[in-house]
Amino acid sequence: MPNFMNGVPELLILRTLEAQEMYGYELVQAIRAKTNQAITLGEGVVYPALHALEADGMLKSRRKLVNGRTRVYYALTRKGEKHLAGLVRHWQHITDAVTLAMGGTAYAAATL
Amino acid sequence: MPQPRFDRLTERLLHAGIAPRHVRRYERELRDHFDDLVREEKAGGASNELAETRALSRLGHDDALAEAMLSRSELRSLTARFPWAVFGIAPLVFAIASAVAALYLEIWLLHQPGAVFTWWTGQPPGPVTAKLATKVYTAYNMLALYVLPLAFAWLLYWLGSRQRMPAHWIVTGVVVICVLGGFQEVVFYDKGYVGGGVLSFQSGLLYFLPLPKDTWLYSPHPHFGQEIARAGMNLAIAGGFWWVKARGKVSNAMALSQTPT
Repeated sequence: MPNFMNGVPELLILRTLEAQEMYGYELVQAIRAKTNQAITLGEGVVYPALHALEADGMLKSRRKLVNGRTRVYYALTRKGEKHLAGLVRHWQHITDAVTLAMGGTAYAAATL
Repeated sequence: MPQPRFDRLTERLLHAGIAPRHVRRYERELRDHFDDLVREEKAGGASNELAETRALSRLGHDDALAEAMLSRSELRSLTARFPWAVFGIAPLVFAIASAVAALYLEIWLLHQPGAVFTWWTGQPPGPVTAKLATKVYTAYNMLALYVLPLAFAWLLYWLGSRQRMPAHWIVTGVVVICVLGGFQEVVFYDKGYVGGGVLSFQSGLLYFLPLPKDTWLYSPHPHFGQEIARAGMNLAIAGGFWWVKARGKVSNAMALSQTPT
């Protein structure tokens, strides 16, 4: 059975960074706000995902001095944009299938 | 504050083979994130102590923070993934490459300044320039013989210790380069007339290889005494350096173990 949560953190991270570059704390807060706090990533564990995405060439990082503190900002690369498009298509396919299945279940329950 | 906690986390990740650059950045990002969370909690009215407790809880448990990093194999360093290449093959390649590079550089130097001198003055180089060149080559050879192996041994030690590699790997690399470096010889000497300089490279270790006697690599008169002494000196210096560093580490580890969690 497939793990449907596989790739979800990556999808959320890439989608959120699509609009603008962010540092870790900012990113976690943005994801919380976007998902209406329905999905809250473990705040510290977002960094390994960011490092891995950068190692895979999906993200690029740069240090930026903000209010006297050096932050590591992450931004999407062209490869990351392409990967995100693929993830979105895949996720859409799964949600369509689940929606269809839920409708089917509801129909079956009603006819019993 | 979670300073000791992050120290333990970084040690755990380094020992597990995560590349030091990722570990350092992860630690720095977690510290910054922690500070941001404390600020946020305080802005929401929490006391200092409560804000720190909540921030630590939101940041994640030690095991979760470590596992998230350890599950990403792409974040492991080359040193951790291929220790046999870094500490076994690299010293061998370095010893050979440095000898070949030294030979090529000296051959180039032997020809080039003489040609430049002749082009500039219209005269062939005389005894003064030859003596100067001999001194330059001798100094360069001393550098290649005495400094380069120890410099590379230090590089291996640095690579291994920052990745918290098992001691046997670091010792292997350091011993290989100290011995190979000690046994190799690059010598230039002036025969006293123009074009009479002699440049030679040899290693006493080649004596043990089944090489045909007509190859240039065959070394009929290896200077075993000098070479063994040089290898021993390299090992003694490297060992002394190791001992000094190990003493410092023991002190640091004791200080860390006495820090409350």
